[in-house]
Amino acid sequence: MVETNIEKHLPLTEATYYILLALVGPKHGYAVMQDAEEISQGTIRLAPGTLYGAFTTLENNDLISMVGKEGRRKIYQITETGIRVLLGQIQRMEIMLQSAAKNFDLWQERTAEEE
Amino acid sequence: MTTQLITKRKWFWAWNDEKEEAWLTKMAKQGLHLDRIPFPGSYQFRNGDPADYIYRLDYQSLKTKDKDSYLQLFSDAGWENVGEMGGWMYFRYKVTNGEAPEIFSDRDSKIGKYQRVMLYLVIFLPIMLLLMNNTSSVDESGLFSTILQGLSALLMLLYAYGMIQLIIRISKLKKTN
Repeated sequence: MVETNIEKHLPLTEATYYILLALVGPKHGYAVMQDAEEISQGTIRLAPGTLYGAFTTLENNDLISMVGKEGRRKIYQITETGIRVLLGQIQRMEIMLQSAAKNFDLWQERTAEEE
Repeated sequence: MTTQLITKRKWFWAWNDEKEEAWLTKMAKQGLHLDRIPFPGSYQFRNGDPADYIYRLDYQSLKTKDKDSYLQLFSDAGWENVGEMGGWMYFRYKVTNGEAPEIFSDRDSKIGKYQRVMLYLVIFLPIMLLLMNNTSSVDESGLFSTILQGLSALLMLLYAYGMIQLIIRISKLKKTN
């Protein structure tokens, strides 16, 4: 396997993160828009112009690839490299959460209340 | 009801796309709905009932094979493609419950649109430089060459002005949040 440097893709923007996460399974553009909104609990709403541009960039960077067509809709899915980038991002976010749990009083109180 | 076509002539420069969007929205409120753009500066409207439409323009130089999926994505998201002129894609969205949808949901992709316009204009840079070279080296004083010199000077000024306007637009967008 070709060793690619995933660090250059990190950190992902919030929008890119949810696009990659949605594309863990094959989806066309509109399904990605709906899925991203749902899994982000409504915090991310992708507009079509933005998503189209993101697809182009992600495809050029080999993080996603077209796996089929459904009528006029292109179906994309995350690539091997994309999965490694996504894992790298999640690892970074874990570190961020752990640092808050360790160093931020207000966050510690909040998580204690929830338990 | 009979629908009639009304043609209006109006000129918008590439850096005035937001004014153009606002104008088309205003027309829709008067019952004039964009039907097609036969040539630059000419807008053909269908006369109908007044309606709340949001118009948005994108700039794309798409290959034919990519265009279908591009238009389909917009259509799935509720944006109707109503026209196209020289790379400018015209979309409208029927507002039903006060939403204010956009075709770009972040700053970078909105900047990307103006960067694509600039990239297109850069293609003309060699022609502009050639014109500038010719204009300065010709020293005949005939009427024809005077007109020609004047025209190319005007063209170059417009080109430079357009580029500056686009750069201003991009840097303003970069300053927002």
